Amino acid sequence: MQPEKISSHVLDKLLKAGADDVVVSVSRQNSSLVKYSNNLINTTKTWENIDLGIFMALKKKIILTNIKEFSLSAADDVVNKLLKFVKSVSPNNEYAGIAKGPFSYKEVEDGYDKKIASLGDKSIDYVEKAINKALASGAKRTAGVFESSVTDVSLLSSNDVKARDKGTYSYFSIRAFNSKDASGHKVGSSRMLNLLDVENLAEQAALISKQCLNPEHGRFGKFDVVFEALPFANIIDNLGMAMSAFSVEAGLSCLKNMVGKQVANKKITIIDDGMLRNGFGSSKFDAEGVPTQRNVMVDKGILKTYLHNTSTAKRFNTKTTANAGLLSPEPTNLIVEKGDFSKQELFEQVKNGLYITNIWYTRFQNYNTGGFSTIPRDGIFVIKNGKIGQPIKGIRISDNILNLLKNVTAVGKMPERIVGWEVVTPVVTPAVLVKNVNITRPAD
Amino acid sequence: MFKELADFAVKYALKKGADYSEARLEETTSNSFILKNGIAEASGFSKINGLGMRIIKDKTLGFTSTNHLDKEKIKKLIQNTINTTEKASHLREEINLSSDKPHKDKYEVKQKINLNDVSPEEKIKLLFDAEKELINTKIKIPSRYLSLSDSITTEYLVNSDGTNILATVPRASFFYLLTVEHNNKTSQRIWQYGQTGGFEFVKKWNIPLVVVNEVKALQNNLKFGIKPPKQALDIVAAPQIVGIMVHESGGHPYEADRIIGREGAQAGESFITKEMLGTRIGNKAVNVVDDPTLENSYGFYNYDNEGVKARRKYLIKEGIINEFLHNRETAYCMGIKSNGSSRSVNYDKESIVRMSNTFMLPGNYSEEELIEDVKSGIYMKNFMEWNIDDKRINQKYVGAESYLIKNGKIKEPVVRPVIEITTPQLYKAVDAVASNIEYHAGNCGKGEPMQPIPVWFGGPSIRLRKIRLGN
Repeated sequence: MQPEKISSHVLDKLLKAGADDVVVSVSRQNSSLVKYSNNLINTTKTWENIDLGIFMALKKKIILTNIKEFSLSAADDVVNKLLKFVKSVSPNNEYAGIAKGPFSYKEVEDGYDKKIASLGDKSIDYVEKAINKALASGAKRTAGVFESSVTDVSLLSSNDVKARDKGTYSYFSIRAFNSKDASGHKVGSSRMLNLLDVENLAEQAALISKQCLNPEHGRFGKFDVVFEALPFANIIDNLGMAMSAFSVEAGLSCLKNMVGKQVANKKITIIDDGMLRNGFGSSKFDAEGVPTQRNVMVDKGILKTYLHNTSTAKRFNTKTTANAGLLSPEPTNLIVEKGDFSKQELFEQVKNGLYITNIWYTRFQNYNTGGFSTIPRDGIFVIKNGKIGQPIKGIRISDNILNLLKNVTAVGKMPERIVGWEVVTPVVTPAVLVKNVNITRPAD
Repeated sequence: MFKELADFAVKYALKKGADYSEARLEETTSNSFILKNGIAEASGFSKINGLGMRIIKDKTLGFTSTNHLDKEKIKKLIQNTINTTEKASHLREEINLSSDKPHKDKYEVKQKINLNDVSPEEKIKLLFDAEKELINTKIKIPSRYLSLSDSITTEYLVNSDGTNILATVPRASFFYLLTVEHNNKTSQRIWQYGQTGGFEFVKKWNIPLVVVNEVKALQNNLKFGIKPPKQALDIVAAPQIVGIMVHESGGHPYEADRIIGREGAQAGESFITKEMLGTRIGNKAVNVVDDPTLENSYGFYNYDNEGVKARRKYLIKEGIINEFLHNRETAYCMGIKSNGSSRSVNYDKESIVRMSNTFMLPGNYSEEELIEDVKSGIYMKNFMEWNIDDKRINQKYVGAESYLIKNGKIKEPVVRPVIEITTPQLYKAVDAVASNIEYHAGNCGKGEPMQPIPVWFGGPSIRLRKIRLGN
């Protein structure tokens, strides 16, 4: 039986049993991944999966299910379990419904590429080209992944929503090594294969790895820091989580009671755009079926709104921003508006500072205040009088996310598209200059 | 369960030219309940039924998985995987597996109270009971997020070497995030409990008491906490801190796949090399083990996901680097046999080298004796923020519930003392280990795609001499 027929079968059964709101989604995903390290392919992987997701509200009792088993009998079992389950759960009196359709949708521009859909094992050629390019550019070792996937998501709701979206995705990550302590990391992502330049990424990673040979131990103190797009995207991804109305309610946000207030330097404008052309997080509709849109989240440093679904929006006396998550609103693509500076011009503004090309393991001391630390890795360099100098290692950024955003004094003009292991939400950002970043390190 | 499908898949792969094939069938049912600020936010359940396969042909490894449990679909995926390994063969890492003995067995973690026999109502009630107790404290707790989850997984593992393992593992966990406010200042804690077994363990955790103790300690720290001293001092670290320390810097760097560079792109490599086996990393008092066989532990298994019999591994023995964590691939690389450390979180993930339950072994002192012998120091009971670099040297732990120690006595609370230290510094600073032991639950992240896997980390209380606290 066709997945869509199973969806409408489930919807009808649940409505007949008294459900007030139902959303049924079917997600089909075929993916592949090539993993490599030490310049060799470790493994190739493929996945073919179908997920059935059901959201049901019955007398304000909210139940979510996800079933990785697809047949009419499995669907009937789920319906029976849902109806039994709902009898013994408690109502969520704050629940305020799902969006009312029907809606009309626009296609995501550059969201589907037949070349990715039919890529197959040709992904190995891309990996080979990238490894060769990195080695030719001075790297000694490389490690990374090439991933591609094709998704087909259909959504049906009890509020006249019927929607379907197909997408393709390609992602490439390369870490180039020149020694155990000298590495460079670049990532790229695109919905269109011809816009993913794996050789360019490989070359850039190799150049960083060459440049940061023989690092010395860094010093602690306050430094002006030029963040590459990759580490700044990590910071913005964490801010994106704090923008969700669910995070605000759950105590996971430093943006509580901050709408209308200054949360970043006025040079910072952040957009959430669910319809971004070739956006890795773009889709025609959110999890309720609302057509996604462009939301100005931070306008010249002022927080304009949280991310909402229909239910959280009603609680905050506003409208959905089309960012459902049925439970927790989620960002789509976070875009830091580009500024005027070339990277060279960012460096030139620094007398005594640091250039950080990657960070990892960002952890919060208190999500409410935004106190956190994160560890620079791969190329880290001292900047002296506007010039990149000695590579360093062994440091940590121990600061506050709001302080950091308020101290952004210059924004680059060359945005990069970042997504990856630690940057879950796709972020488009240029490099930025941040003043007075607190750097710590273990005592000698 | 479609066991015959997994058996078929292994044979079919061999027929199509594979030198080795392995199929892992998984059936998991799970439930989860969330209480947010006193509101039953949502309840949920899910079901997984899928097959994952590893195939080696001409020393090239391929992985494939699906939840279409259909013979024709699986045949197509196998053929596809064989074709892809052929295409990758000119650029592949040569994959060989150590010659570990195949096992045929089945086992099940027993439940005194079956997780599926407890109604959703009763599970949610536990969270409501905790909420009620939190409100009764009269402490200002602006955010209260509590969640309870349980699952039962049955896995069938079969490979072309003759391994055939059927395992059923029930698992439960409780997670909380609490924010306490005092005089416009807030403090937060996130923590988790987790075990394999039935609902009897969920009852044993005494969730209402756990969360009440937590908010009382947070409030006490906010109300009365003083700044930590600047001079070098001694630290008595309690089991929660010791657990995360040994997980991050006594477990991860001993994963052999990191050591050989396989996780180099993302999870990282290790400061440890093969040549460092047998060399000193810490004081003689330090013994760190990884042991999947602890009954009812969160990281429990009898056989790993390659069918290798699980056993305790001594990663650090009396301060000496003793053993790494291996799967069959890394074991072959180092000319030894696997020690059963291959795990995958679900059918659709490749099994890789993972920790299970990693902890420091207890010593002979009581915790009181450790404290008694400190003139000026800090007792650090638990933490909030922590991290470590990807080679596992530079680590940081920020104390949450912490107290000053003066002349052998616990005194006033201390606000956010920071241990920022290198791995060799840390293990060399341990001068005494207590006889108490606790295990704590977490989900360890590794792999591409990321696969968070249930683990315990733990240990006794330990004393670290002459540590300069960070900023």
